Amino acid sequence: MKKILTSLLSLGLAASAALAADAPVNAVKVSDDLSAITADSALWSKAKFSTVTLYPQAAVQMNDKKANEANSGDKAKKAEVAALHNGKTLALMVKWADGTKSVQGGYSSDTYSDGFAVQFAGATKKAGPLPYIGMGSDGRPVVVHLQKATASVYEPNGNKDVSTQINRQQTGIFGDELKAYDAKVASLAKTDYERVFVAEGFRSLTEIKDGSVASVAGMTYNTNGWSGTLARPLNDSYMKATGTVPVAIAVWDGEKMGRNGLKNLSSWVAVNLEGMKVDSKIVAEATEEAKGNVEKGKAAVDANGCAGCHQITKSDAQSFMGPSLSNVGGYSTVAYLRESIVKPSAVVVPGYNRNAHSNTPWYTIEKGKRVSAMTDFSFLDKKTVDDIVAYLKTLKAEVE
Amino acid sequence: MSKRQLAMVMDLNKCIGCQTCTVACKTQWTNRNGREYMYWNNVETYPGTGYPKNWMELGGGFDAAGDLQPGIIPNLEADYGVPWDYNYESLMGGMSDSNHFHPHVSPTWGPNWDEDQGAGAFPQDNYFFYLPRICNHCTNPGCLSACPRDAIFKREEDGVVLVDLDRCQGYRYCIAGCPYKKIYFNPKISKSEKCILCFPRIEQGLPPACAQQCVGRIRFVGFLDDEESQVYKLVHKYKVALGLRSDYGTQPNVYYIPPTESPAKFDAEGKIIEGSTRLPVEELEKLFGPAVHDSIKTLKAEMKKRKETGVSELMDLLIAYQHSDMFRLDNNYYQQVARENKRNPLAPVDTRYIAGKFTKAGGHH
Repeated sequence: MKKILTSLLSLGLAASAALAADAPVNAVKVSDDLSAITADSALWSKAKFSTVTLYPQAAVQMNDKKANEANSGDKAKKAEVAALHNGKTLALMVKWADGTKSVQGGYSSDTYSDGFAVQFAGATKKAGPLPYIGMGSDGRPVVVHLQKATASVYEPNGNKDVSTQINRQQTGIFGDELKAYDAKVASLAKTDYERVFVAEGFRSLTEIKDGSVASVAGMTYNTNGWSGTLARPLNDSYMKATGTVPVAIAVWDGEKMGRNGLKNLSSWVAVNLEGMKVDSKIVAEATEEAKGNVEKGKAAVDANGCAGCHQITKSDAQSFMGPSLSNVGGYSTVAYLRESIVKPSAVVVPGYNRNAHSNTPWYTIEKGKRVSAMTDFSFLDKKTVDDIVAYLKTLKAEVE
Repeated sequence: MSKRQLAMVMDLNKCIGCQTCTVACKTQWTNRNGREYMYWNNVETYPGTGYPKNWMELGGGFDAAGDLQPGIIPNLEADYGVPWDYNYESLMGGMSDSNHFHPHVSPTWGPNWDEDQGAGAFPQDNYFFYLPRICNHCTNPGCLSACPRDAIFKREEDGVVLVDLDRCQGYRYCIAGCPYKKIYFNPKISKSEKCILCFPRIEQGLPPACAQQCVGRIRFVGFLDDEESQVYKLVHKYKVALGLRSDYGTQPNVYYIPPTESPAKFDAEGKIIEGSTRLPVEELEKLFGPAVHDSIKTLKAEMKKRKETGVSELMDLLIAYQHSDMFRLDNNYYQQVARENKRNPLAPVDTRYIAGKFTKAGGHH
């Protein structure tokens, strides 16, 4: 506890306004049922909106030439986030600007949808900082709720339904019978692209399909942007909430061919549940500011040869070995950055693209555990690590 | 790399461009359920735009250093072509000026839009040949490397490259990563799909539909490590069958006997120029690499030998007398693999990836 207090105190000393982490979101307590709340519910008038900054995900760049060109601008976005809870259910609303409404649908091979995701830290007994944003890590799972704006998606494979896969022209029926066939096929389509995933490290993202998460998500487009809502239980077999729930937000822009890693995402944001005891450890971690010296940190990054494997800023050449650090200050907590330097195998993040360079794999497996290809920098003294973290926290895109 | 690798060899000297393979594949797999525009098997005219349009210029594959190259995802309408259909139902009431037989879209592009055009000046030196293409089931697949979800896998038992439709989230990086553009996005289910080398048939000892139906009998199928198989003899023993665009670095497992026979050119008076050949060897070198010269040399030498002595194993092999020789598959092998992996030997569908590794079944307990 003493340690936490010390770090909280140090906040005021090191933080400047420009570098400040997003402040906690207050979840207003209501007595109403929230389990099926939508964006047009009157209950949202009770909620208080807080600003959360979403940075372009730059750690991993994929191999879609046109999409990479469309996203070369590299600007952060602002989202407004509000929360409600009733002791059982947590409801979140995320509002973000998007001038182009993109709904994936129709007979097209190269269009993409807008979407958003809310990530929660999964239940774990493993000590350490909050899970890695995006994919979590071994023993520190994340639960991801994803909502995309799509027209009907027809999944006969999921339904194990083969008889309705044939085209209408090949059914050999006409008139009313054919109309009935069309109606049956349409009724089998899923109109809502809502997914829940659990992940414990890169390449482990798995969809939860057995209905063991009772959540409801939705997206509504108003003139210039989206309102996304999500309601999920505060406690289930994947997540155990205290008085503070850490969340991370991601949004995708279909117009810019956004999907998967091509997104904007936040760092961990603390959501304090009104009427419950604030979990100061989570708040401290989500809002911790770096206390090192930025200039000395930059010199240490140069001296330790970080650029040999990482792209440090957007203007440097893309490196194939480690993840790009060009926005790492935006979507990473201080605790994560510190851990990634002194314990690189705690979270093994792929480089530019794992298979992009088969000669330089991003991890090896030793005794069933992933061991990062990165050198262990635990030999650095604490002050140097703090300086490096302070410099890394400055690496982030401007807000558009 | 898989333990064993199935391979196909296609003899381009014998392909007549009849599209029977295309139709066999389409009726078997791709005439329904969002796959209508896909041709897991297509036969294109070379030189030509190919399918999808200009696929050789759309990136993907690896450079010499082993780096995956960025690629472009083709547009359905402009690059693949929208599969059009007709107004069959409205014709039930009889045809009239306002109700005539017409496609539901005005087609602007489609596979084989430039069929049989080829290159050169008619009639002096025009030329073309047919290039049938399926997924190459590469040893180092670009699609697999590109997938950030590990939703593409290469089977240990035969090297067949498959999409795990349960894991696939429709990101389409695989399409950018495949230099052959032989993996497609299914807009109806929002997932990627591709040639599966007819693995449910293969596992029962039957060749893929395209190979079985080929009227020119140009396709040979077997395991590359089976020295009795004709694919082994063509690829490794005689070294006459070569991968398509091996320079993309994916190590393709569909091999081609390059077209060695083409007519002579005509001079301005329409007379045959003796000793000339219409098919520029540079084009073949572009497709099949520098080894094409040795391949052509061997083929010509064996042809000559056959003419003179009546004996040539290679020529006998390429004549393709018996399906039983052309296709060396072994359903006992697959049943053994299934038993070793505790899978149902009679169930063809690969079920390995269906259950989510991290899903906690049932929830509250």
